Parts: sequence; structure tokens; C-alpha cells
Amino acid sequence: MTAKIKVITQFIVVCLFTISCKHSDEHKYHTVIDKIEANTVEYKGEISSDIYNETIKKVEVIDSDFKFLIPERKSQIVSYKCSECHSQPLEKLKEHKVGEKAAHWNIKLNHAGPETMNCTTCHNKNDFDHLQSLTNSSIDFNFSYKLCSQCHQKEFKDWKGGAHGKQLGGWAPPRLSNTCVNCHNPHNPKFEKRWPVRFNTTVEKERE
Amino acid sequence: MSETNKKWYSLNLNRSKKSESCGCGSNSGGCNSDKPKDGFDQIMDISMSRRTAFTKITAGLLIGAGAVSSSCSIIGSDESKEKSAMEWEEYFKGNYKLMTDEEKDKSINRLVRSYELNHGKKINISSKNAEENVLFGYAFNISKCQGYMDCVNACVEENNQDRTSEMQYIRIHEMKDGKGFNFEEADDNYYHEVPADGHFYMGTQCFHCDNPPCVEVCPVQATWKEKDGIVVIDYDWCIGCRYCMAACPYDGRRFNWKTPEVPEEEVNKNQHYLGNRLRKKGVMEKCTFCIQRSREGKNPACVEACPTGSRTFGNLLDPNSTIRWILDNKKVFRLKEDLGTEPKFWYYMD
Ligand code: SF4
Ligand code: SF4
Repeated sequence: MTAKIKVITQFIVVCLFTISCKHSDEHKYHTVIDKIEANTVEYKGEISSDIYNETIKKVEVIDSDFKFLIPERKSQIVSYKCSECHSQPLEKLKEHKVGEKAAHWNIKLNHAGPETMNCTTCHNKNDFDHLQSLTNSSIDFNFSYKLCSQCHQKEFKDWKGGAHGKQLGGWAPPRLSNTCVNCHNPHNPKFEKRWPVRFNTTVEKERE
Repeated sequence: MSETNKKWYSLNLNRSKKSESCGCGSNSGGCNSDKPKDGFDQIMDISMSRRTAFTKITAGLLIGAGAVSSSCSIIGSDESKEKSAMEWEEYFKGNYKLMTDEEKDKSINRLVRSYELNHGKKINISSKNAEENVLFGYAFNISKCQGYMDCVNACVEENNQDRTSEMQYIRIHEMKDGKGFNFEEADDNYYHEVPADGHFYMGTQCFHCDNPPCVEVCPVQATWKEKDGIVVIDYDWCIGCRYCMAACPYDGRRFNWKTPEVPEEEVNKNQHYLGNRLRKKGVMEKCTFCIQRSREGKNPACVEACPTGSRTFGNLLDPNSTIRWILDNKKVFRLKEDLGTEPKFWYYMD
């Protein structure tokens, strides 16, 4: 009797298997995360973002496990090199004559407070063509993110990964991301309040 | 007529066709079972010649004597003859999902040519298929969105959306801090300086569910999930029943109550059959992750337009993509996860 039941159960189990497990590829995964994990493969396809970013001069960021491109900066700064004007020490330049407009008169520093930051927190008064870190090491203008990351560690981590900031051109490799100063004015980094560019949808009452 | 060169999917009323009873609820891919013919097929599928005869007769009745007479008439100009010949063929084209690449090309040539005849301008319609090893996904940073609405403008322009109605694929909801994601109380109609104090902003659109309920309910299989994860609609096959709209738990779909109006000079001429090509009245449309852009490697228009970097788009299968880094390193969540719809649209905060 028990043997009979066993045989029957086995038969049912076999039946169940043959019927319910006729899965096509599409049916294999129960969640999209399973599917992603199972099919993960480095993208080596034909599609590339290069054509969309052709006109942008780039430099490469290499930091721990990350390797990606950012727009080159120095050629975008109107009056780089700074030393073309800053040929004399700062103290000398400060004594400008009455009636002469001071250079950079329009820059108002609105970044942290005056007890935290002033011009020379980032700019090197002995070498105007470079920025400087908190410990006075020289930083190239193209890699100004190194300066920002001294304080903004969390943003820096997210930026390297891609959770902060913005990838340009397309999703396809190679990755080109905006660097900090492409979105934030370092002298006034906060985004301003403004009007939305269009009305949002409006609700119309069509019947009572 | 054999199952292999059938150009439509049949209604399957009162007859269960699901042999795969696993409960994962997959819904893409065609029906490949040898199921018995239903009412319509019993008549239409008797033999090739009879089907052809039938379609032609029905066609004559349906699109009326007008088309026939102008295509046969000697006084009709060459152009109008060409037009009606094309309309005729367009009328009988199959479901995009079942078309061969050659048939896709033919249909696209007709669409391009008829736009040229009607508007005197060339458009470019693509039928590019899904790329291997690509599954598209999207991430949205709630902490960063400021409610500027640049994404919506970009979307309307890119996707040739009707300019007079407010059919916007993207909605930006203004929510009160401290109230969680309360869509009931969210302000979807704000117009004031943003970001408003004490508020945060959250965008929604079609989430391209991996297990999309909208696809499941379509009676004519006019909507489906592509291999790269994009949920698309065949506008020429949609009958406008709006079942899918009712089935979508995320308010992802938009219906054309009127013929969409786009000023000629604003028409985006770079189009995809399943994407932003010009729609007609009475069909469903929605976000397609800008299929005409994303299949070429570009980011969707909303991602490109966002000035705050709240929007990230990418290939979920590529371990080096930024979207993968976000999924692996940020505390991400999706809306209504318990429904099992598996949206490929994640939210996160800084
Ligand atoms: S969000 Fe709605 S329309 Fe988009 S795939 Fe999911 S169920 Fe379908
Ligand atoms: S509205 Fe169109 S796409 Fe949606 S269910 Fe009906 S036929 Fe299918």
C-alpha cells in the first residue's frame, strides 16, 4: 500500500516537474535583480558615446577603482594663464591706483563662511597658475575636484560612482562626467531658486 | 495559414493558453503553442487564398470605395495614386512584433514617403532592434530634484507630444517634507519659485516594469517588453481600449484623446517606429526611455536636460555603469515594490 502511494507521489512529482518547469529563458528569474546578476557582463558592444562628446576636450580621472573622463578645464578659463596678469606678487597688485578697477571685482565669495574660506584657501598666492590644497600642495586647474573633495568627501564618493553629478552624451562607454565646477560655481556653489521652465499640468474640473 | 507567418495575435477568450504555470508571470515573447483556432481564425485561416480574398473584400468595405477609386482612376495624379496604394498596404501591415526586418523596412519606407508627400519634408524613422547585453534602467535622486521642469520640456519636444493638451509623460510631484511619499496630498500643479521651502520633488513616468501588468492585459498585444527592457507600444496596432492604462499601477500611460498637434518646424525628425514617430488620435503612448536615442547610445532627453543631475540612465548589465554603482551603493527603493511589477526605475537619496 505504502509502496503504491510512493509510486503515485513520485509520478505526480515527475509530472509536476515536466509540466511546470517548461520555462523559457524569460521565465527564469523571479526578480529583476536576479536577472541583472545572472546576466551581468561588461559592455563591449558597438555603441559608444564618443561621437556625442567629440567636441569636448577631456582629461582622465583615475582614483582607486574608478577611471573615467571629465571635461578639460584650463582651455575654458578665459584668461588662463593667470600669471599673464599676475606677474607681480599679490601685495603689489593690491595697491592699485585710484580710478583703476580692481580685477575680479565681481567675484563675491559665498561658499561656507569667512572663518572657513577665503581666496587663498584654494588659490595659491605664490603660484597663480595652480590651485592649492589645505596642506599647500599644488593642484592643477584641470583636477580641481581634488580641492572640493577635501571637504565634500561624501559628494566626492557619490560623484566617482555616478550618484552625484551628471554623465554627458550617452549611457554607453566611455563615461564622460561633468566635474564639480561644470555645475557649481566654486565661488557661489548653491543652486538658486527660480521659476520652473513651464507650467506643471493643471487640473480642470470637468463635472461636479 | 500556418502559425509562423501570422501577422496578428488572436483574442483567446475563455481559453487558457498559459502552459507555464510558475507564477513569475512572464509576458513577453509570442504565443507559440499549437492552440486551436478561435472564431476569427476559423474563418480567416482556412487557406491562404481565401484569407487573401477575405482581407481584400473586407478592406474594400472598410476603407471605402474612395481609396480604391482613386488608385484605379485615370484622372488621379500619380501622387495620390501612390498615396492610396501606400495607405492600402499600411492598413494591412502586421503587428510590429511579428514583422520580419524586411517588412519593418517596407513599412518605414511607406511612413517616410507619406510624410514627404504630405509635408514635403524628409524624416528619419529607425527600426533599430535591442542591443545584446543591454538592459536599460533608470535612477532618480530625490534629494537633488528641485522641480525646475526642464525634463518635461525636453520630453515634450523630443517625443513630438501634443502641444495643446497636457499629455506629459513625466509628472513632477511637489511633496511636503515629513509626510513621506504621499501622492494623495502631493501638488502636481505647482507654479511658483522652486524649490519651495519645506518641500521636495519627485518625478514619475513609465517605470518600464520587468513584469509589466500593462502588457498582460492588452487584448491585441500592441504593447510589449523589448529585450533591452523597454516597454513599447505599436501605435498602428493599438485599438485604444485603454486596458493598459487601467492596469498600470504607476500612472505611466497617456491616451490621445485628439490628434496630437506639433508645429511643423518643431517636429523632431529623428524618430523610431516604437518611439516618437507621430501618433494618431485614439492610441496609447508613454515614455519609451527615448528609444530613438537610447538605442543609439545616448541618454534620454530628460536625463540630458536635467540641470541638477537627479536623473541617471544606463545599462543595468554593465558592472561599470553608473546606474549599477547606484544600485550597489545607495539605499535605493522603488514604488509599490510589493506588487511584483519589478519596475526598472529606482529612487534614492543622497
Ligand atoms: S510603469 Fe505602468 S506602463 Fe510602465 S511598464 Fe510598468 S505597468 Fe506598464
Ligand atoms: S490601449 Fe492599446 S496598448 Fe493599451 S491595452 Fe488597449 S490596445 Fe493594448
